[in-house]
Amino acid sequence: MNEPSFAAQLAEDLGPADLRHVLEVFGRDVARLTGVLREAAAGDDAIGFRRAAHGLAGAAGAVGARALEQECRKAMAQAETKLGELSATMSTIDVLAEDAMRELARFVAALDAS
Amino acid sequence: MVSDGHPAARILVVEDTPTQAELARALLGSLGYQARIAPSAGWALVAAREWQPDAILVDIELPDYNGFELMQQLHGEGIDAAVIVVTANASISAAVQAMRAGAVDFIVKPYAKARLAVTLANVLEKRALVAVREQAETRADRDKFFGFIGSSAPMRAAYRTIESVAGSKASVFITGESGTGKELAADAVHRASPRASHHFVALNCGAIPRDLLESEVFGHVRGAFTGAANDREGAAKLADGGTLFLDEIGEMPLDMQVKLLRFVQTGTFSPVGSSKVERVDVRFVCATNRDPLLEVRAGRFREDLYYRLYVVPIDLPPLRARGDDVLAIARHFLVTFSREEARRFSGFSAEAEAMLLAYDWPGNVRQLQNVIRNVVVLHDGELVTAEMLPPPVYRPGIAVVPPAQAALPIAVTRGFEPDPQSPATPAAVASAPSDAWQGEIVPLATMERRLIVAALRQTDNDVPRAAALLEINPSTIYRKLQAWRALGLAI
Repeated sequence: MNEPSFAAQLAEDLGPADLRHVLEVFGRDVARLTGVLREAAAGDDAIGFRRAAHGLAGAAGAVGARALEQECRKAMAQAETKLGELSATMSTIDVLAEDAMRELARFVAALDAS
Repeated sequence: MVSDGHPAARILVVEDTPTQAELARALLGSLGYQARIAPSAGWALVAAREWQPDAILVDIELPDYNGFELMQQLHGEGIDAAVIVVTANASISAAVQAMRAGAVDFIVKPYAKARLAVTLANVLEKRALVAVREQAETRADRDKFFGFIGSSAPMRAAYRTIESVAGSKASVFITGESGTGKELAADAVHRASPRASHHFVALNCGAIPRDLLESEVFGHVRGAFTGAANDREGAAKLADGGTLFLDEIGEMPLDMQVKLLRFVQTGTFSPVGSSKVERVDVRFVCATNRDPLLEVRAGRFREDLYYRLYVVPIDLPPLRARGDDVLAIARHFLVTFSREEARRFSGFSAEAEAMLLAYDWPGNVRQLQNVIRNVVVLHDGELVTAEMLPPPVYRPGIAVVPPAQAALPIAVTRGFEPDPQSPATPAAVASAPSDAWQGEIVPLATMERRLIVAALRQTDNDVPRAAALLEINPSTIYRKLQAWRALGLAI
C-alpha cells in the first residue's frame, strides 16, 4: 500500500473483512500476473506482455500501489515499441511488486493487530 | 412464474482482473446492491440476457473483445441496462467515446465508494424515471397495456376492466379462446394491483397430474406420500400477499374443487399430510377457455365454486375480432424475432398485411407468433411478402384488398380481379354513400335500444365493454336500462 491516504480510504470503504479479502486476491493477482509477464518477456510476446501489464496495473491501482501501477502502464506502451527491453522492464516490475507485497503484508498485520 | 417485488438493483460488473472485480463486488454489496461478475464480454452478454441487470459497469479492455463492442451488442439485443464505463483513462476523449458508444456515465479507476454510490444512484434514478414515464405513456395511448399490444375497442374495454378491478381483492375470472392472452391478463391484474410487490404464482390445473394437484396448491409435509422426502410449500403459501392464478380451472377434478372452495371461503388450508391449518391472504384469478356456465350445467364445475370465483369476469376477444391489432402484434413479433435471428425485416408488404388481416387466426396470438417466427427463420429481406407467409395464412389464388384501399374490415375475394360492382367487395361498400341506408326505418329510440341490447348480448352483459363498443359512457347504459325497466320494456 504505497499511498497511505488511499489505503485508509479503502479500509473505511470496505471494512476489515472485505479489505482483507481484496488484499488476498491482489496477492494472488501479483503472483499470477508477474509469472505471465516473465513468460511473455522471455518469449518476446508483446501482446501477452501488454495484456498482463494492463491487468497488473489495474490490480495495483485498485489497492493504491501507485508505483507498481505506473510502471505497468509504462510497460504497456513499451510492449508495442521496445520489444527488446521487456526483460529489463520486467526486473523493475518484479522489484515494485515485491515492495507492494511487503507493504501489503505490513498493512494486513496492522489490520490484524487493530 | 414467480415475480419478486422490488429487490435491490442488480449490477453486473464486467471486469477480468480479480482484484478489481472483488473490490467492486465488495463495494456494491456494502451499498446494498446485488452484484455479479462477468470476466469477459462473452460472459457479460450471457449474464445480461439471463439476469437482466439494472446497470452494467464495463471495463474497456477485456480479454475477448472491447467494452465498446460489448455495448453495441447489448444495444443490438435490446438489453436496456444502464451502462457505466469504468476506465483508467481519465481523458475527455475517452469520456466522449464512452458516451457516443451508449454509456450513460463513466468512472475513472481507481474509484472510491462515494463516487460509485453517487454515480449508481443518479443512473438508477434516471432509469426509474424513464420507466415511470414510459408506463404512463403506455397507459395513455393504450397501444400497449402491460404485456398486451393493441388498441381495438374490445381490448380497450378489457384494459379498463383490469384497471378497475386491480385495486380490489375481488376474484377475477378470465375467459377466452386458447392463445388470447389469459395469463397476460392475470399478470396485468397482479401488476396493476397493490399486491404487485408480492408474488404472482401461476398454476396450470390442466398440466398437473390430478394426484399431485392438491400438493401443488397446498404443499405437503415430509412423509405425506411416497416420494415426499421433505416439507414443500405449495402455490397458496407462495402467493401469500400476492395473486394466485389458476389457469385452466375447468380441468380441476371435482374432489379438488371442494378443497379449493373451502380455501376460497376461509383463506385457510392444510398442507397434504398435515393437520395444521395455515392462513394466507391471496387474491384469486382464474381462467378457462371453456364457457364456465356450461361447465356448471354439465356438472363438471361446482356451482358454489363458480359463484365464489366468477366475481369480475374478463372475456378476452379472439384475435379475429381485434381488427388492426393483428398488424400491431405482427410488427412487434417481427421486430423481436428479426433481432434475435439477425434478420433485416422492418415491415410487411401491403399484400402480406391484407392476408394477415383476412385470416381468422383460430390459434389466436400464439398462432400469429408462430407464423411470424416461421417467416423470420426461413426468410430474410426488408419486407415480409405475402409469399413468405406459410399456409394457411398464405392462400395462393386468393386475392385480398390491401388495407389502404379498404375502409371496412378486409373481405377475401376469389381471383386477382375483384368485381368493383359487386356489393360484396369492400371497395363497393366503402364507396356507397353514407346516407344509403336500406334497412327498416324505426324510431331513433327503438334503434338505440336495439343497439345497446345487441352490444350487451355480444359482451355477455359486460356493461363497460358494451359501452366501449358503442363509444359511450357505461353510466348511459345503466341509466337507459333503468328507464326501460321502469317502462316495462323487454331487454
